[in-house]
Amino acid sequence: MKLTVKPLKQKDAGRGLAAVDRAAMDEMDLENGDYIVIDGDGGRAVARVWPGYPEDSGKNVVRIDGQLRQEAGVGIDDQIEVEKADVQVAKRVTVALPQNLRVRGNVGPMIRNNLSGQAVTQGQTVPVSFGLGPLSSMSGQKIPLRIAETDPSGTVVVTDQTDIEVSEKPAEQIAGDAPTEGGGEATPDVAYEDIGGLDSELEQVREMIELPMRHPELFQQLGIEPPKGVLLHGPPGTGKTLMAKAVANEIDAHFTTISGPEIMSKYYGESEEQLREVFEEAEENAPAIVFIDEIDSIAPKRGETQGDVERRVVAQLLSLMDGLDERGDVIVIGATNRVDAIDPALRRGGRFDREIEIGVPDKEGRKEILQVHTRGMPLSEDIDLESYAENTHGFVGADLAQLTKEGAMNALRRIRPDIDLESDEIDAEVLESLEVSKQDFKEALKGIEPSALREVFVEVPDTSWDSVGGLEDTKERLRETIQWPLEYPEVFEQMDLNAAKGVLLYGPPGTGKTLLAKAVANEAQSNFISIKGPELLNKFVGESEKGVREVFSKARENAPTVVFFDEIDSIAAERGSGGGDSQVGERVVSQLLTELDGLEAMEDVVVIATTNRPDLIDSALIRPGRLDRHVHVPVPDEDARRAIFQVHTRGKPLADGVDLDQLARRTEGYVGADIEAVAREASMAATREFINSVDPDDIDDSVSNVRITMDHFEQALDEVGPSVDEDVREQYDEIEERFDHAEAELDDGETVSRTFQ
Amino acid sequence: MTDQQQLVGDAPLRRYEYDDAVVLAADIGITGDATVDVVDDTATVVVGDEQYDFDLPSGDARAFIRNGVLTVEMSEVSH
Repeated sequence: MKLTVKPLKQKDAGRGLAAVDRAAMDEMDLENGDYIVIDGDGGRAVARVWPGYPEDSGKNVVRIDGQLRQEAGVGIDDQIEVEKADVQVAKRVTVALPQNLRVRGNVGPMIRNNLSGQAVTQGQTVPVSFGLGPLSSMSGQKIPLRIAETDPSGTVVVTDQTDIEVSEKPAEQIAGDAPTEGGGEATPDVAYEDIGGLDSELEQVREMIELPMRHPELFQQLGIEPPKGVLLHGPPGTGKTLMAKAVANEIDAHFTTISGPEIMSKYYGESEEQLREVFEEAEENAPAIVFIDEIDSIAPKRGETQGDVERRVVAQLLSLMDGLDERGDVIVIGATNRVDAIDPALRRGGRFDREIEIGVPDKEGRKEILQVHTRGMPLSEDIDLESYAENTHGFVGADLAQLTKEGAMNALRRIRPDIDLESDEIDAEVLESLEVSKQDFKEALKGIEPSALREVFVEVPDTSWDSVGGLEDTKERLRETIQWPLEYPEVFEQMDLNAAKGVLLYGPPGTGKTLLAKAVANEAQSNFISIKGPELLNKFVGESEKGVREVFSKARENAPTVVFFDEIDSIAAERGSGGGDSQVGERVVSQLLTELDGLEAMEDVVVIATTNRPDLIDSALIRPGRLDRHVHVPVPDEDARRAIFQVHTRGKPLADGVDLDQLARRTEGYVGADIEAVAREASMAATREFINSVDPDDIDDSVSNVRITMDHFEQALDEVGPSVDEDVREQYDEIEERFDHAEAELDDGETVSRTFQ
Repeated sequence: MTDQQQLVGDAPLRRYEYDDAVVLAADIGITGDATVDVVDDTATVVVGDEQYDFDLPSGDARAFIRNGVLTVEMSEVSH
């Protein structure tokens, strides 16, 4: 029966499975687990039937992984013949290991476990994952085994009854004499299954490259010229090079890479000549793909380059891509992470026909990537990849690969003492005992930060809502502004409600604005970028605004992100109020305004700004649509003060007589920071008393008896006064009035000033 | 299709939801004495000395192991 080949999902790859859709299964009278023969033009492969994906039902689809596709010599979307196969059970299989693999002991059981259920043919190369792969430090490395001999001969199935013997001769010396039947030329380095989370991008690339190479007649029929190039762009580590490799691999095209510095020569005209040579070579071997990695290095904007060479190289590249001579089946893939640095003449139809952005993966993408990288890894049962996918915002493919690698290295570290480095070979039992545990992953996660955010990344503070005493209303409003849109997107969509773009926290010094922002960062499960106002300012004209721009572009790339501006009044002062000749401040404010409410949408980027001088901030910034939520952080009332006392005395040994209610009552006008100071002074007083009264030798024994008493608090209260006095009170009353007016809808007829509840 | 983190031995159990049936499948590798049994709402897989149980969404199920592929098919869909 003829079926269409499609790629297998990442997680099912590498096990010799073929997912056949249910309608076709019924028609061929197949059950899950049956063997089928896949007959392609270039070969023949045997696979076991796996339940078809629900979305394929009735479409006559067979999904197989890259290895099987290579064996059968078919590509995606090809029609192939599939029929039920009768496969014999192997009594004995002799495998040859690669020469450089040094393992002692009986690896037979391990190989059998790996191959169990798979169909093998003599001469075939089977990649087997040996736990953590001693071949290299890279986790999930597959070791190419060669099947030296089988009994009975022909295609056989490995079961747990099969004897696995290891051949004396290394794999390299056994001729692969069966490429005509069953065995492919070589296992592909990169198959489509090895790319996670880029399905739609991959589809676009294939459409541009595979179609014209396989069926040029389609384009002739339509009377259009086939595409000549694709430009992949996106942040580093997102898989641009990998994708180019996979495409070249899957369509069996000749693949040439140009790396910028390599073709540059000091002799006049030779750089261009080398470029021409690469294209000539590609043409001779057509169909071919020319891959130019980091294309910005050889094709920068001609107007902006210093040297003459670059200009000539760019011109040469232009004429090669769109020259007079027909290039035939040669397609150029360019990759860059600085798409704006490329000569604009390259970015038009006929040269790079399509530009495909390879973005930072989302949660689903991250899960797929993790599945790819842990495919060959012995994971312990308690590892939930889904949860890692959830809390790795902003991680690109390379970071996730690094994460799994580090996790595996941690596992390796555990068994390191058991490895005798002096001996030539590693005990097979040790290899088998390797397992990557949850703890290994956890440790690895600590050491890795998203590469796109490295410059601005801050460790998310370990502050939860619990650490914030009082301020219940404020917390609630922050939660609905920032957490809700991320947690309940469907509700927001239903209500046709846009998430707020920004929150301004204002209130007197010490009331906990920064603390709240920290808690938000921690609880919102987002990336967190913290901007300290003055650090954006730069002595060069234009650089300060550029800083703002970069912050926001990073935030967008790594959404969901919380951008935090502490003391925003320092960079967003009212415009037109003087402030020097350069007017840097004004330009920074303008930039901020456009970033917050510009043409480019801010998806899942929330700005939190704090200030204690909201009256100084440019009024355009605090209008709705920018920092549209003004959350007031008031001076705490008595209840709030008690809550704050509770937070700050949580871990402290208090004597029985300490009455927090009374303390809260007596600290009118104290803000959060003052209360923290009181608690600290009180424990300091207790410490002082203790250390002065006890013999230094006895300290260890008696330290557990120390208590902070009410007397100590009395002393502390004498030392720490309220930081809010009559002046401040008046000042905030005024500000309050202004903001109340602006936020009339939030004022429920309260007559009391909200700063002093 | 939803993913389950449930494992049968080393093999993750996959779940596929079709219009007329739900299929659970796992590649447990070929071992001589693997059996599967469905009793009420529970499927019991015995591989060698180890036994794995998992709950099934509905009672009417057909289960078999062929060439190392465990299949549990439930024709009635109860959501």
